[in-house]
Amino acid sequence: MKKTILITCLVALLAAAPAMAQVDLSNYVALGDSLTAGFVSGALMDFYQDRSYPAILAAQAGAAGFEQPLVSEPGFPPILELVHLVPVPVILPVGLIPGAPVNAALPRPYNNLGVPGANLFDMIFTTGDINNLLAGNTDNVMHDLILRDGIHTALEQAIGMQPTFITVGIGNNDELGAVLAATPIDGVTMTPVDQFAFLYNNAIGALVTNTSADIVLMNLPYSTTIPFATTVPPFVDIPGLGLTPLMGTKGLLTPNSRVTLLAGGLIAQGYGLPGGPPLPEDLNFLTGEPGYVLRPEEIDIIDDRVDAFNEIIAEVAATYGLPVFDTNEFIAEIVAGEAPSYGGVVITADFLLGGFFSYDGIHAQRIGYAMLANALVQFINAEYGSNIPGVNMAEVLYEGDWQTPGISPAGAKDAVLSREAFEEVYNLFAPKLGNAPRIRRPQSDRSDLPTVDLRRKPRSTP
Amino acid sequence: MIAKNHRHALLVVAALLIMPSLTWGSGFALFEHGNRGMGMAGAMTAVADDPSALFWNPAGMAFQTDEGVQVMFGVTFIMPEQTFTGSAPYPGDGYTDSQIEQTFFPAHFYLGIPVNDRLEVSFSFSSPFGLGTEWDDDFLGRYISKKADLFVFDLGVSMAYQLSERFAFGIGIDYMVVDIDLSRDIGLINPFNQRVTDVADVRLKSDGINSAWAWNAGLLWKIGSGFSLGAMYRSEFSITGEGNGTFTQIPTGYPEFDAAVGSFLPFDGDVPIEATIDFPDFWTIGLSWQNEKWTLSGQYGVMGWSSFQELPIIFPENPEFSSVIPENYEDAYQYRIGGEYRASQHWAIQLGYLFDETGQPVESMSPLLGDGDRTGYTAGLSYYTDRFRLDVGYMYLETDGRSTGGNSIDGFDGFYEGNATLAGATFTIKF
Repeated sequence: MKKTILITCLVALLAAAPAMAQVDLSNYVALGDSLTAGFVSGALMDFYQDRSYPAILAAQAGAAGFEQPLVSEPGFPPILELVHLVPVPVILPVGLIPGAPVNAALPRPYNNLGVPGANLFDMIFTTGDINNLLAGNTDNVMHDLILRDGIHTALEQAIGMQPTFITVGIGNNDELGAVLAATPIDGVTMTPVDQFAFLYNNAIGALVTNTSADIVLMNLPYSTTIPFATTVPPFVDIPGLGLTPLMGTKGLLTPNSRVTLLAGGLIAQGYGLPGGPPLPEDLNFLTGEPGYVLRPEEIDIIDDRVDAFNEIIAEVAATYGLPVFDTNEFIAEIVAGEAPSYGGVVITADFLLGGFFSYDGIHAQRIGYAMLANALVQFINAEYGSNIPGVNMAEVLYEGDWQTPGISPAGAKDAVLSREAFEEVYNLFAPKLGNAPRIRRPQSDRSDLPTVDLRRKPRSTP
Repeated sequence: MIAKNHRHALLVVAALLIMPSLTWGSGFALFEHGNRGMGMAGAMTAVADDPSALFWNPAGMAFQTDEGVQVMFGVTFIMPEQTFTGSAPYPGDGYTDSQIEQTFFPAHFYLGIPVNDRLEVSFSFSSPFGLGTEWDDDFLGRYISKKADLFVFDLGVSMAYQLSERFAFGIGIDYMVVDIDLSRDIGLINPFNQRVTDVADVRLKSDGINSAWAWNAGLLWKIGSGFSLGAMYRSEFSITGEGNGTFTQIPTGYPEFDAAVGSFLPFDGDVPIEATIDFPDFWTIGLSWQNEKWTLSGQYGVMGWSSFQELPIIFPENPEFSSVIPENYEDAYQYRIGGEYRASQHWAIQLGYLFDETGQPVESMSPLLGDGDRTGYTAGLSYYTDRFRLDVGYMYLETDGRSTGGNSIDGFDGFYEGNATLAGATFTIKF
């Protein structure tokens, strides 16, 4: 009898749940990395931060006071621009002097706590001090800029905000380094799976325990499908010889190998060509020079790691009853050319011409982020029965970029992505050699581990 | 070294962009084959007592042998209006535009020659399919369609025979000629400013005579006491047409981008195209009653739009642009009610009402045709003598507003609403 009553009550509660479902974005906090921060063309810059997916989502939901760590033009580091398209695309930073923080005095944490370069470990444990940045030190620039108080991590600041709504899009940097350096190494360029499981479970557990927010988790796309890895073919068309495979340090490249965007400049210098030096394939631990070739088996290793992370995200979501936005599927559709058409215009993942990705070949540009925001709006509406209006894509498609760059003959170089342009970006996202976080726990008993108590009241910054 | 890869990327993008999703529904079927008939809402299958029977029921000609040689010709002016209201994500809430107002004037011509008092041979010229749409230059749907014109001309020969005093049949063959002219822009992301930019205007135009054969048949039974029963069938037909695609570059102000676009779009001359269109069949069945002063008629019909499942457009010399567009139309019914009152020896008036369901699924609604169910109110006035007849017809046709409901296959979502005013005159001379 008691059991029946209990079951009846449960059924009543469950039945009532959808009707009661109401999503409140009035105090929305976004946790994540560069994708969350609105990082575009190698820079964090206010024009694009205002067009980050969390900012669009908040605006669509009518949430006022969504604060971000804005950086003035030309961004930090200085944003990349396309200088030439033909005969070969040339992409350079717009200048040498970066922009400055313009919202650093906000006396509370930002709503957008996405930290470019941050991995899962950073979200939980890494702090930043704005005074360090203002003193001219750029060793921890993004954390300094965004977390500021030198004490509280992104996760702690999120909890301290006591948000009504949270999105968590973290984990890209737990494997992106393997693509950027074209070298998958467990524990160096990729976070070990059991460590990811432990940290993810604890981070989400802390959010669930210490806030009353609705929480949406976002899983991870395949980093091997971004233009950085898919633009340069593994062969060259040599007059008289026809299509000739490039030569790498491990031998001739197979047709299903991928060459990173960064290799363009080297190939132009003769690397990988008949008679030239072979293209370095893997990360050089002595010099820190990245590799340039992803062999099919390496692609599989990285994709498998993404699959493993996504499985963990799904498991943790199931444990806490949280919805997961399928970022992986969202990007896969764009990569496959199956993105929705906008009045006959189809946005693809092609470098420069596709419309989704920015000049760094890694991050979206504003059109891509707006599409992501729109997909999130649809997901949230379906999940919570809310009625947040969709993004007006016509405004986005015709808006144009932060400036209309002139075509300058200066700086024309025979490179796809200039070395100097890329270095700034690479420094932010490159695998952290030597200080890769290692917290290893037995995988078998991870669910029994106590949740890390991360609750601390964040102090307001000066 | 990546130029080749870019070219490929551009080709893929362009292939997606070049093909309009060519769609038509009731909007391209024309039922204006005589202005007396239009005044009676086209409820003519069981009436069929003037040469417009050659469209509505060829059997009717067999009962007109005592009229002598008849020549009937006329024109109907069609003035459609349509407004579009956008919804998210594209072109977005609050966006509105209206079609440029155009007037179309499909003509009809019939010649009926009695061979004896039971057999009549007839020749006809009319447009069973037609119409067009045109939008402003800055219309946000311009990558789907800026201007579209389609006309099908039907040259028919038909024979009608009276089996008995009460019963007749008619059969005919139709030589169908199609003429198509479609224009749109191609929009690409300009990599210099990351903005959708018009890079080319594409015009696909049929060339020469693209034709197909079709047939039609009808039965008319004068039951008695003024009642008649009629049935008509017009066959489906498929036209594989040839034409040319003309690409005209639109300078973007970015010479390097223009050069890249010029490397993959054929701006240096026309390119051949081929397209196959499956036109629907159409049947009607009707009942009428008449006496000295009155004719009352009703009919039901179905247009077999389910024939229109896909539209292949082939570029024989540029296969990368070829595509097959899903259309997935469904059969659509219609009913028509009309009446005529012959007030005197010389004057008559007609009135009518029609409902014409659309065969177009919401996903296929587009700037080329955003159709909906149609309701028409008609009226007509006739003056006639023994040798001469003048019919003036009028119709107000309202299209039910319909929303794509976020399902547009072109990604152009919103609400289409429209109406059309039709008016025309038909002359008949009897020799």
